[in-house]
Amino acid sequence: MNGPRRSEYAVAIVGAGIIGLFTAYHLARAGVGPILVLDRGFLSSGASGRNGGGVRQQWETRATVRLARESVASYRHFGRDFGYNIWFRQSGYLFLAETNADLDRLRPVHELVRSEGLHSRVLDPHGVGRLVPGIAPGAVVGGTYLATDGILYPFPAVWGMYEAARGLGVEMALGLEAVGVATRDGRVNGLRTSHGSIATPKVVNAAGGWSGDFSGAAGLEVPNRATRHEILATEPMKPFLDPMVVRPSDGLYFSQTMRGEIVGGLTLRHPPGADRGMASSAAFLPRMASALSRLIPRLGALGVLRAWSGFYDDTPDGLPIIGEDPRLPGFYHANGFGGHGFMLAPAATRRVARTVLGERTDLDPSVFGPGRFTGPAPPSSVERLQLG
Amino acid sequence: MVEPSGRRFSFEGRSRTAQPGETLLDSLVRDGLPNLQRSPRYHRPRAPFCGIGQCTGCLVRVNGRPNVRACRYLPLDGDRVVTENAWPSRRFDLLASFDVLFRNGIDTLHGFRRPAFATPLFHRVVRRLAGYGQPPTGESAAALSGPPDVREVDVAIVGAGRSGRAAAAALVAAGVHPLILERRAETPPLPGAVVLAATTATFLPPRTGGPEGTFEMLAYGEPAQGVLVRARRVIAATGSYDASLLFESNDRPGILTGDAALELTRRGRPPPFHRAVLFGSGDRARTLVERLGDHVSAIVAPGEIPPELVSAATQAGIPLYPRSLLRTAQGRTRIRSVTVQSRGQGTPATLECDALLLAHRRLPNGQLFFQAGARMSWRAGTGAYYPVVGEDGATSVPGLWAIGSASAALGAASVGSGERVASALTGGSVPVAPLDRVRPDGPNELEGYYRELLRAPRTGRWIACPCEDVLLGEVEEATRNGYRGIEVVKRYTGLGTGLCQGRYCLPDGLLLLSIAEGRPPTEVGYITQRPPVHPTPLAALAALDASVSAPEGS
Ligand SMILES: Cc1cc2nc3c(=O)[nH]c(=O)nc-3n(C[C@H](O)[C@H](O)[C@H](O)COP(=O)(O)OP(=O)(O)OC[C@H]3O[C@@H](n4cnc5c(N)ncnc54)[C@H](O)[C@@H]3O)c2cc1C
Ligand code: FES
Repeated sequence: MNGPRRSEYAVAIVGAGIIGLFTAYHLARAGVGPILVLDRGFLSSGASGRNGGGVRQQWETRATVRLARESVASYRHFGRDFGYNIWFRQSGYLFLAETNADLDRLRPVHELVRSEGLHSRVLDPHGVGRLVPGIAPGAVVGGTYLATDGILYPFPAVWGMYEAARGLGVEMALGLEAVGVATRDGRVNGLRTSHGSIATPKVVNAAGGWSGDFSGAAGLEVPNRATRHEILATEPMKPFLDPMVVRPSDGLYFSQTMRGEIVGGLTLRHPPGADRGMASSAAFLPRMASALSRLIPRLGALGVLRAWSGFYDDTPDGLPIIGEDPRLPGFYHANGFGGHGFMLAPAATRRVARTVLGERTDLDPSVFGPGRFTGPAPPSSVERLQLG
Repeated sequence: MVEPSGRRFSFEGRSRTAQPGETLLDSLVRDGLPNLQRSPRYHRPRAPFCGIGQCTGCLVRVNGRPNVRACRYLPLDGDRVVTENAWPSRRFDLLASFDVLFRNGIDTLHGFRRPAFATPLFHRVVRRLAGYGQPPTGESAAALSGPPDVREVDVAIVGAGRSGRAAAAALVAAGVHPLILERRAETPPLPGAVVLAATTATFLPPRTGGPEGTFEMLAYGEPAQGVLVRARRVIAATGSYDASLLFESNDRPGILTGDAALELTRRGRPPPFHRAVLFGSGDRARTLVERLGDHVSAIVAPGEIPPELVSAATQAGIPLYPRSLLRTAQGRTRIRSVTVQSRGQGTPATLECDALLLAHRRLPNGQLFFQAGARMSWRAGTGAYYPVVGEDGATSVPGLWAIGSASAALGAASVGSGERVASALTGGSVPVAPLDRVRPDGPNELEGYYRELLRAPRTGRWIACPCEDVLLGEVEEATRNGYRGIEVVKRYTGLGTGLCQGRYCLPDGLLLLSIAEGRPPTEVGYITQRPPVHPTPLAALAALDASVSAPEGS
């Protein structure tokens, strides 16, 4: 890898995942330049190349519902706008309730989503059974379902944004690591990389599961925490399952992709920070296999093809961090997306770009701003629906 | 185990019998090499290719369970076997028209974006094309659920080939009684050791609890029994397999690896071919000539042919084509001939044949080493990663040994390496002979071969990844568009994401990308080996849920 081509940039974006790429695109569209996007790995090496492709609009917080809805609209036109087919299939997200208490917990989400004009439905076991052929009898008391949610194939979205941003003149430096920022008078004035430094007044931290590390390298203490999440794909088969299925009680989620595989995972607590590797654990395969084959017994006769893992970039309130850091002007956060960065990317990064341009956005700083963790008042919203 | 004499099952509604020891494929092959599958995108006819449970050429549906590999399956009385993925029948498949309609390939990356109103239809068509069979039935899954088999042992050996057996025998002699896991069903017993036949080790994560901890290895017994092995020490003797080769129509029925040729003819079974062209010139090719010489009609080799093989072939009256490119295979449902051309602008020759046996390159089964986190090193000669081992076969992971061809020792050294590890494990109480045939590394012959082959204009289908029907042109397009490195190209094209988990496409993929990107294969990337080693039934894994340790610290 060679270093950056120039010595000076208008904006440097750390991380070429879906967040960094979309941000670069929006900024370039707004006429900003030159822009550098750097990534120490290969394209799609982070969570953007390791996720389940789920896109849902069912959330506990209103602002997130709106961001998600706007993202769905963007993804619907991705093929037209960016030349790559992301196979966005709006075949719904189904939340399963094993008990009436589970169902009661889903109701407020259902109400909120409906109040935003989205046609969420509460289903009885029969309705769930129609969407999940072969579900074990008695497995659920019902569920909630939003037909316009869906899944996409993440890779072409990465390629599409990579090429779109490059087409607008954004420089992509793959294999280049950001190691810190340079400051002057308490402001960002440069970025230090593994191949020398560049001058830039603005640095965007879109480093995904490593954003906490990069903020730390810039001297900023942040609450981001990387958690490893495992996921698997089965042997492919002919279509039989349309929606993304989610069970909040244990974090099980899965869908059948356009390639015919069942792709999904569940929440398995790994010791925080203990292991930054991307390997699979011995416990995950049996746990996931057991959850899947108990819920849909017929899947027991299917083979697991591969398992892998990636990092969620988690925040204490389950909401992303978007905006300029009040402690270090010129340092912008576009991170903390947990397990939902892909589905929120198009809309969230539009706001990131606006804040980088110094414009106001419709995002409430007490909900999304980086100052919410260091200010006198606690963050004003909490999103607990932390699932695929 | 006593086998019933002859098991009656039905194949596509007709009753058949499998003799004792016969797999489903053995039994079907008695009528000739069957076309059992269709390829996923273009519905090209496919037939068994590897014979050792890795490729997609023999997938059938047994009692409502899809993706059963006929070459590994021992039929039971009353089994119902049908073929899938062809409509209306496996001989006449309407979807095969896709092969003609989409001459330039089905481009799922850029295609099918317009008109917007047709999107749901595109989704339906493309989803139908994916996969090899219908979902399993509930009954098929119910028949597979059973209790787990949990073993705690001092030493576990994976693989009962030559080196694995040698290690086991030496250990037994020194008073250590190992557990042996072997994927093949037909495995002779070994006095003093416990042999689990038809059992596949599929995941060896790094050991839990530090160097004093144990390995927890996941495995499954056919058809779907969950097996958990807790072992203080693991000897991996996982062996090697014959690679595939890229040329026009390289996926045609009748193209077989050396493994398949030997497997289908084991114990004196007649080969399902009469005139096979053999590609290769090393030890493997010689074994094939010795075993099947009467059925070999020509030997084609990418480079020079060594004198021993020349004299063996001359004795058997087999014509030789050294320093030749294999360009094309002809024949749709069965290969009829191949076109070869001597290197450096020679005139092409058409060799009639009913099979092509690939024996030019053997690749190590290294997945367990990758999974366990062992240090690996690149051997240019084979174009593959091997575990870095000491004299006694110790890998960089304490307690994990690598022996036999999985560790780059070959032939006589397989036995020698088995004895050495046994000696190391028992504190030197086993006498060892010097390792006489560790193969030296050398330049990669195939790289220059592919360079020359790909320079000429191309026609027809060059299938870079048969499992997923990824075309060579798609891989080249990725490079042209600036996507570099095997990991990115994998994600861009789907290369290596099929049922064989990349065994028959990623090794060549590394070489091809190295040529296209103009940098050594080691810079093109490491092929990340994701568990499991072989597709593992959910039922088998689920049975282990209560037995496997939870992640540490949780
Ligand atoms: C198993 C799993 C399943 C998921 N499922 C879904 C889902 O269904 N739906 C959904 O919307 N989201 C899902 N997510 C979350 C989603 O994938 C992420 O939120 C999203 O991809 C984040 O994008 P990103 O660009 O912020 O991060 P990434 O894609 O991780 O990109 C960050 C990049 O920054 C680079 N980087 C880090 N540090 C440095 C540095 N110092 N210098 C240079 N480069 C650096 C990294 O190499 C990496 O490429 C899932 C995540 C995982 C792990
Ligand atoms: S050939 Fe099997 S995955 Fe590519």
